[in-house]
Amino acid sequence: MREADASYSVRQVAERIGVEPSYLSKIERGLTAPPSEETIVRLAQELRSDPDVLLALAGKVSADLLSVIRRRPQLFGELIRELKDMPDQAVVRLVREVRDGAW
Amino acid sequence: MIELKKDTLLVSFPEVHRDATLRIEFQRTLRIPDDDRTYPLPPGLGRFPLRHVDDFAQRVPAKWQSRGGVMLPMYQSEALWLNFSSDFGYPFAVKVGTGKINAVTGDEWSDGLHASPQDYLVVPDQPWLDGYCVEKGVIRQFVAMPLGSGYSVEEQITGAGEHGGIQIVVYLFDASAYERLGRVRVRQRVLYDMLPAYLSESAAPDMGLSPGGRMEQEIYDDHYPFEEWDQGHRGRCFVHLSNALVWRSITAEEPPPTPATAEEYTRAGLPWFTYYAADRAALEGAPALEKLKSVKQLGSEKGDAPLPENTPVTPTNVIALRAGLKPDQVREGAF
Repeated sequence: MREADASYSVRQVAERIGVEPSYLSKIERGLTAPPSEETIVRLAQELRSDPDVLLALAGKVSADLLSVIRRRPQLFGELIRELKDMPDQAVVRLVREVRDGAW
Repeated sequence: MIELKKDTLLVSFPEVHRDATLRIEFQRTLRIPDDDRTYPLPPGLGRFPLRHVDDFAQRVPAKWQSRGGVMLPMYQSEALWLNFSSDFGYPFAVKVGTGKINAVTGDEWSDGLHASPQDYLVVPDQPWLDGYCVEKGVIRQFVAMPLGSGYSVEEQITGAGEHGGIQIVVYLFDASAYERLGRVRVRQRVLYDMLPAYLSESAAPDMGLSPGGRMEQEIYDDHYPFEEWDQGHRGRCFVHLSNALVWRSITAEEPPPTPATAEEYTRAGLPWFTYYAADRAALEGAPALEKLKSVKQLGSEKGDAPLPENTPVTPTNVIALRAGLKPDQVREGAF
């Protein structure tokens, strides 16, 4: 957490994301089970972190990604397994580009 | 390559340098009054939604499909500005056209960069572009009007409304020259959520950008050696402007509400902005753009009233932003 910034104290962050400070403190220290996806996403927004990264740290996958996989489980199952060992640079090349046409 | 993420165009060149990523947002804003005054910079009111044209191929005009790119919704007489940021201060040269007329020079669209007259912006030195460079230190605001109505810069210069939209081409700085540079910090303009104001009755799909009111904004001179722009790599995107009234029929999404008027905004005491970069020189205005008629002027000649609200305002709450602010120094407010 942004320890040097007083506005990012456990109390203030907890208040802004709508949880009890004691609960957030336990989460921070790993003393309780991870919070809900909704809370993690709010926390990521508050901390300006990537929600997918925080969800992964909590052992979760976002509901929208699960929904995508469930719609085409075979296709995305194969795709993810194919990609799992590829370097980041190669994976980045798979992102969807904005198509340029004839002006 | 150009990606579309969270209503932002990400133009990156990972094959050239890992820092070479430019973000381009299309900011909603209030339309400044189109009168003889020169106004400060209006706020950003949030990003326009951006969508891949290909995702709605069955419901957009065939020429949109052939051009590719992205699209966004605009109401008639709504204004827009472009927000540029380079995460690591990597320099980019950005050419911006509307209806394939260069917004800096007023020339018809051409490939490549040109130094004299300079036909591009240098980012991150130039954080925003709000309109057409009509005088040194003055632009005329980008204002959407239906293509074919005669108001757009394209129609005023070429006599035809063939292209519409916004054209953007990005070139990057030479990677080895970049390594020799110090990094530049970026800054932002305040964003507010605003109230709906008015709706237009026009529903033609294509919008073109037209010259609106006068605004204080300098287009900065390129202080880098021209030969250090890497013109061997570029990212190019056609941004189609859909009339907001047909946006729902194309995308099944509601367009954003129309922004507050300048009068409502100013009366609420909300801030306007100025931006200073003391160490940068401003380009002269483009003669071809200076002589164009604003929407208000042309409407008066036509006997039209194209601007539903055009009351002059006197901004009193003007915040000065200076080049070199750190990201954490961004001024944010609430409405």
